[in-house]
Order: sequence, then structure tokens, then C-alpha cells
Amino acid sequence: MLKTGLFFGKRGHRSQIEGLLFILPYAFLWGFFLIWPLAYGFFISLHKWDPLRGSKFIGLANYVKLFRSPIFWNAFFNTFEFAGIAVPLIIILGLVFALLMQRMSIRGGRFIEASLFFPYLLTVSIVSLVWKWLFDPDVGLVLYYSSRLGLHLPTFLADKFWALPAIAFATAWWLAGYRMVIFKAAMGDIPPELYESAELDGAGGYKKFRHITLPLLRPAILFALILTTISGFRVFGQVIMMTAGGPGRSSEVLALYLYRRGFDYLQMGLAAAVGFILFVIILIITVISFRFLGFESRL
Amino acid sequence: MLRRSNAVGVGLKYFFYGVLAIIWIMPILWMIDTAFKPSPEIFTVPPRWIPSYLTLEHVKEVLTKWPFVRWLINSLVVATTATLISLIVSVLAGFSFARLQWVGRNFVFITFLSSMFIPWQVNVIPLYFIMHRLNLLNTYPAIFLPIVAMPIGIFLLRQFFLNIPQSLEDAARLDGCGSLRVLWHIILPVSRPALGAMAIYMFIFSWNEFFWSMIALQRSNMLTLPIGLKALQGAYDINYGLLMAASFLAVLPALIIFLVLQKKIIRGIAFTAGKG
Amino acid sequence: MLNEFFKNLKLTRRWKNLLGICLAAVMLLAAGGSFVFAQKKYELNFNTLFHGGDAQAMVRIVEKFNKENPQVKIDLVQGQWEDYYAKLYITVAAGEPPHIGITHTTYIPSMAPAMTPLEKSRAGNLLDIAGIKGEDYVEDLWKAGVYEGTRYVVPLDTHMWALWYNKDLFKEAGLDPNSPPNTGKELEEAASKIKAIGKYAIHPADIGKPRHFRRAWYILFWQQGGELFDKDFAKATFNNDKGLRALEYLVNVFQKWGWNKPGTNGNAQFVAGRLGMLWVGNWFYWTAERSGVNYATAPMPQIFDKRVTWGNSHNMVIPKQPLKVSDNVIVTAIKTIKWISENSDIWGIYGGHAPAYKPVLEGKKLGESKTWKKSLSVLSDMALEGALHYPIIHPQAKQLEHSIQVYVEEAVNGIISPQEALDKAEEEVNEILGS
Repeated sequence: MLKTGLFFGKRGHRSQIEGLLFILPYAFLWGFFLIWPLAYGFFISLHKWDPLRGSKFIGLANYVKLFRSPIFWNAFFNTFEFAGIAVPLIIILGLVFALLMQRMSIRGGRFIEASLFFPYLLTVSIVSLVWKWLFDPDVGLVLYYSSRLGLHLPTFLADKFWALPAIAFATAWWLAGYRMVIFKAAMGDIPPELYESAELDGAGGYKKFRHITLPLLRPAILFALILTTISGFRVFGQVIMMTAGGPGRSSEVLALYLYRRGFDYLQMGLAAAVGFILFVIILIITVISFRFLGFESRL
Repeated sequence: MLRRSNAVGVGLKYFFYGVLAIIWIMPILWMIDTAFKPSPEIFTVPPRWIPSYLTLEHVKEVLTKWPFVRWLINSLVVATTATLISLIVSVLAGFSFARLQWVGRNFVFITFLSSMFIPWQVNVIPLYFIMHRLNLLNTYPAIFLPIVAMPIGIFLLRQFFLNIPQSLEDAARLDGCGSLRVLWHIILPVSRPALGAMAIYMFIFSWNEFFWSMIALQRSNMLTLPIGLKALQGAYDINYGLLMAASFLAVLPALIIFLVLQKKIIRGIAFTAGKG
Repeated sequence: MLNEFFKNLKLTRRWKNLLGICLAAVMLLAAGGSFVFAQKKYELNFNTLFHGGDAQAMVRIVEKFNKENPQVKIDLVQGQWEDYYAKLYITVAAGEPPHIGITHTTYIPSMAPAMTPLEKSRAGNLLDIAGIKGEDYVEDLWKAGVYEGTRYVVPLDTHMWALWYNKDLFKEAGLDPNSPPNTGKELEEAASKIKAIGKYAIHPADIGKPRHFRRAWYILFWQQGGELFDKDFAKATFNNDKGLRALEYLVNVFQKWGWNKPGTNGNAQFVAGRLGMLWVGNWFYWTAERSGVNYATAPMPQIFDKRVTWGNSHNMVIPKQPLKVSDNVIVTAIKTIKWISENSDIWGIYGGHAPAYKPVLEGKKLGESKTWKKSLSVLSDMALEGALHYPIIHPQAKQLEHSIQVYVEEAVNGIISPQEALDKAEEEVNEILGS
């Protein structure tokens, strides 16, 4: 392919070299620090890998072991469950907040927006510590205030069914503000005339949202959806700091499962295999979303 | 959207939005409250918001017993360097993908793009050994090099560059400008918002980097802020006063910057909206 | 060109200069960071997994060392409990290990390839060089430091769980604050009385993490004379009526008898004065002191047939050093370890552990300390009585423990029945042992 480019005359020749030169710095970093570890990691996953006791090539045995392990599947489905709860929550909250911000016409709007956005600037450690503290069954605000209101809520982080949703909620609190800003900006791009003419036709708030806002917001929502889904599948920090995968293994997600195999049990070949499977899952989702949602044209 | 506003309507609006904002920000308020509360009053039931007195003991403990300031500086250096390097390489590459014609361009771009979804976890173990061989363990480059290898910046900038009118560039080229000059004089000056958006994104991402930093940094004075906080949690399981004080101090720089630059930051982030 | 660029950014001159200086400083720091903060001669890196009170005690020891030994500086990093061993292992594999590390007795088998054999190191017999003698250490602890014929460790301490109780709550509940429960019956009586005054009766699991529930179950199981595995670690031997009774007891604490709530943090409850009795290790001493609670320590009650408590030991190790580290550094490390042994009274007093170094354990400094009188003597007695039982000592200890604690925790939280928990744990554990 390169060779033919070189024959496109002087201009084409120059453009070819330039094009490649310009991407060279990045390509170097990319190759060395992203792709090479990936390949090396895949290599490791084909071994029973112990740098001190000696490594042994075992082909795909690690992968077979994983697919046969109920604990692996537990982590697999937990990951999907987490993403399934957190992602819609984040997107919907972001959307709702964006709508509210748009309709708000009072002073102090900056403060409101700041409050909703600010959690995004926290690091995962802080978010985890604070919410763990809030969910504490003894002195946590969440359970205390809800019991005062007469609600008997479960003990969240200590409850098999509620641990993941609780982490998902804390994650949504953390990240929804960022989506809010993005959606609000996208809404701002919608020409007001569209709304005006709709109003003239007698359309109410809901109709306007459904037929004007939503369709025009579609690209932004889809984009946010894909990125949020990907980070949902990679979740790690909140889980390990809030529940460490518990109670039992009910909140053990793939990233944590990987970490445990690699860093607790020192089964690094197995861990590398999990990492690769995680990568493939994310890749498949991305490709499907792009195909399905017609993003090819945008490229 | 203008409605006839009456006192009640406006009042209700204020109330609703105010309550929403306060509920949303309450965890942070509680964090700050706990940070300055004397220890015996932290575990009381019912939880009390107003302590009998405010104390700086937790803050003092964090700052004197731990290299907190050093952690802050480490995070700052890593994030700033990662952002700068990323900007440079992404501008060059993004320009190449958006405005230059060359064979294999789209193929390479898609290859880079699909690597965006590689989870860090898969690379941690091999990266560790690679960094060791380069003698870079426990150094700043160990952290920011894998970060700048991420293609997100290229994606963002390419999108933006694609939308710059071709006429601008054509005019410059007719004047005999080479690609580098076109980039420097024409494209970049117009790209401030995109560059700003990307810088914010990369900075926040680097600042927050957790998993890899946890593995690659071992010496106490080289930890970045999030890992320093985790080390604190490991050292003091239930000392929530200390943990919240540390969290508060960690949030402070972000808080200050945000209060000062709120508009710009939000605008920068909003920028990535319609472009994706 | 640069000027034009900045002009376009519309920065004033002052901001331009400021920005320029900041950028330059940052880049300098980034490039030279490692050099500026370069290592001194004989800077030893000491990584521990300590947290809480004992972390503070180790800080004291290191500070004293650094003051008294100007040619050597210890850089102390105290890590989280969770990923310590993996980091230690990987750093050895990558050739960047700390010079001194810590290893629990139970993890010596799994970490053995990463540790320097002390009698056969490349710098010689380190024990002889530093003058470390086995008879100076508590016998059981010293013996446990050998794996497959090689000695890898110098013991630092032993630690175990005891009963910590709130004297004021005892009084309030109508119990004698100076006579803590010693048998299962007395424990039940105390628990119901404390529950009656509206407080948490007992929390048998420290801060309530899965590994703590596992330890509590171990204690109840071992007290009936049960053993977790057969001699050769061929299979699990805990899925029987003893194991079941132990687990049912533990589950009842949180479910049927309502002595506590699942998901809670025992330490936090105790520190807040809302818990009558707590099972936790001697490292809790300083936290208890600072809490202001009127507490006392007592031996682990004998609930079943004999008094047994869970315990482990910390040992000091020298991770395998790469060739670039000179023999002198290794010798300095072992001498440092000896120094720490000799100064482990600090460890005992401030960390609350029972030092393994006999001159210190039997010495005056420790014996006259408040720590000894308030808690350590109780532990020492239990050790002498033979009540200490180590958990799993096996190369795959961690994985086995995880497999057990996951189900114990689920049973305690009422998610599965005790029998189901034991069945699942046994199945998983046997699979690990078989592979």
C-alpha cells in the first residue's frame, strides 16, 4: 500500500511522508506502551507464569480453565449487571439534570450546576471512602435518615443483592454531572426556532422533548453511552474500596477477579487471560455499537 | 420557555433546585463535616452535624505524619506532563489523520481507535516488567508514559480538525505553506476550545489514575494522591476523621480551581459534546 | 513563532511569564525528579503491610533507628494488607525489591522463592554475621521460620485474638466488670444482658471483613478439636458436625440471637462505646486507648472443649536481591533486622504485639509498660498456655482462605445456610488442592 502512494507524484509523495512522520511520535508511544504490553500480556496468558518458580507454556489451558470456572462466570455476569445498572443510571441522570438546567431560569444557576457537576472532579478513592462511610450500617447517613423517614432499607454494601446497585449508584453520583454538561451543551446547539414552531403547533413539553430534543441529542447520547459502557465494564477502584467484591462474591467484577488471581494468588498467566477476555468483550461491544448505531459514517 | 413568573412559582423553583443541589452535594458536606469533627463525635448515633467544637487535629495529622504535599506534587507533575506530551503528539497525529492524505490513513486510524478500549488491567503485569527493564520503576515517566499512549486525544482532535473549513487551509497552501506551518498558523489558533477540552480531559484522567499507579509506585514519597489516599485507608481502617480530612485536602485543589474557572472548565467539557 | 502562539491565546505578559516558568519547572521536575530525590548511600527500603496501630509503632522504630544510625537511612513504606505479598513477589521478580520485608508465618511457603535464605545467602551466613541466635527467640516462632529445610525469616512477633470488653457497659448491664466471661455459658449470659440494655452484645470479627469472619469460625472450630485439613493437605476435613456447629454458632450471633448486625464494623462499634465485647487482635491496643472507652482485655473464652485462639506471626525477611545490590547492603539489612529485634519493646508497647525476641519479651521495659499490663500479658499467657493456633500454612494459603471466607461471610449475612456454605467451601478447596 505504501509503495503505490509513493508513486502519486510529488505532492502525493510528500503528503505520504508527512502523514507518516506526523503520526510517528504517537505511534512510537502507542506501540511501545500500549501494544507491546498487550502482546506480551497475551504471551503470558499462554503460560502458567511464575517468574520465580519458572514458567511453563500451556497454550490455551488458562482460557479453558476460566470458561469452566463458575467463579469466573460469576464475575462475568456481575460485570454485566454493574454496567447494566450504572450506565443507564448515569446517562438518564445526566439527561434529566441537563433538562432541568436548561429550563432553569433563576439566579444561582451556577451554584446548582456546580453542585451537580462537582463530584466528577473527585478521585475514585474519595468517592469510595465517602460513600462507604455514608452506607455504613451503624452510623451511615443513608440508613439513618431513611429509617427516620420510616423506610427500612437493606444494608446495601453488606447485602448480596444490593451491593452492586449501591456501588452503581455511588458511581452515578460521581459521573452523572459530566454527562449533564455534555448533554446540556448539545441541547444548546438545538435551534430555538424548532421549539417555537412546535409550540405554535400546540406541542407541550413532553412532545417537544420526544420529537425535537431527543432525536437531535441522539449522537451525543450514543457517544456517551458507548464511553460510559466501556468504563462500566472496567470498573475496579470503587469495588475494591467499597466492598472488595463482597458480600461473598456478589460484587466481584471481572477487573477485581483479574486482580485477585494475579496479585493475591500470583496466578499471573490466568490473570493475563482474564485481561484478554475483558479486552475482547469490550472490543465486541464497541464494534457492535459502532455498526449498529451507524457510526461508520462519522469516521 | 418564558412563563409568567409569580412569587410562588419562583419560590418553588428555588426550593426544588436548591434541595436537589444540596442533596447532591451532601456527601461532600458530610465529608468536610467529619474532617473537622473531634474523633469521639464521629461515630455517634444519631449522627450529628454540628460538633461541639471544630478541630484541626485530623488535618494536622495528615499533613505532618504523611508526605501529603509530596503526593500532591507528584500528581501535579504526572498530570501536567502527561497532558502536555499528549497534546503535542495528539495534535500532530490528529492533524495527520484529518488534513493530510496518505495511503493507509484510515486503516491506521481505526487501529489506533480500537486500542482505546484496551483496559489497563490487561497491561499491568507486562508493563511492570517493561518499566523495570527501562529502569523507570518508581519514576514519573513510569506513570505518564502509558497514559500518553492512549488514543483518546487523537480521536477528539481529529474530529475537531475535520470540521475546520478547508478554505482556510487551501488559502494558506496556495501561499506556499507546508503542513507544519499550516498546522501552526492556521489550525492551532482556531483550535483553542478543542485543545482546552482535551487538556482538561487528559489532566483529570491522569490525576485519577489508580490501578497502574498502585502497582508501579512503591516508595512512600513517589505515590500519587489517589494511591496515597488508599495507603491511608490501609493504615487506618476506621479512622474516618483522618480519612475524611485527607479526602478533603485532596479535593481542595480541584475545588479551588473549579470555583475560579468553573465557566471555562464546563465550557471546555461541553465542547466535546456535539463533536462526538 | 512562540510569541504568535501565545498572542493568539490572549494572555497578558505577566501570565505568559508565569506560565512559562511553571511549565519549565514542571518539565524539569519530571525529567530530573528521580535524580533530585536520589538515594543516599545505604538507604534501605523497608516495606511492610502494617496498618493502624502497628503501622504507627513501626514508624517509631524506624525513626529511632534513623536517629541512632546516621550512615543508614530506612525509607519506610507501609502498604495495604491486600496487595502486599503480590507486590513483594513481583518486585523480586522484576529485580526491584525492598531490602527488608515482612511475611506472615502462614505465607512463608508461598513466598519462599522470593526470599533470601538467611543461612545460605550470597553474602554468607547472615545469621552468624549479625549475631542472631535461635535461642534468643521464642521457640515455636523460631521453629516456624523454616520451610523445607531452609530458614527464611527472623520472627518479629506473635499476635492473636483476645476478648476485649467494655467495663462500663458490663456494669450497666449488671455484670461484674472485673470478671469477663470465660466459658461459653458465661459468654451467652453476658451477651443477653448487654443486648437487653440495647447495645451490641458482641462482635466476634474485628472490623467485619471476610477474613475476620473466617478467623472467628476457625476459633469456634478449633476449640472443638477440629482441624481444617488432613496432614498432607490432600483434602478438607472441616465439613462435619464440628464445622457445622462452629458456623451455626457464628451465624446465630448475627442472625438468630441478634447479638449484632451483619455488615457492621466491630472496631467502630467498640470505639463508639456501643459494643460490649469484641474479638480482635492485640494490635487494637492503641486504638482502644485513644477511644477513651473503659476497656479491659481477657483471654479468648473457652466456648467449646478447649481454649484456642487464632494467631499468626510477623517475620522479618530479606527479599531476594538482584545482583546489582551489593553484599554490603544485604549485610546492612540483616544487621538492621537484628537492631529491630533488640528494639522490639517499642513494637510491643506501641504496636501491642508480643515480641518474639526473648530478651525484650521478658525484659523490664515491656513488663512495666501499660501495654503489657492492660493487654499484652493476657496474650502472652495464652501463648504460653498453648492456646495459639496458626491458620493455613501452605503455598496456596491465600487462595484456600479466600475460598473459605467467601462462604463463611455469605452464611453470616444470611444469604446461604451454614451447611451449604461448608459444602461449597469444601468443594472449592478440594479443587484447589487437587490441581
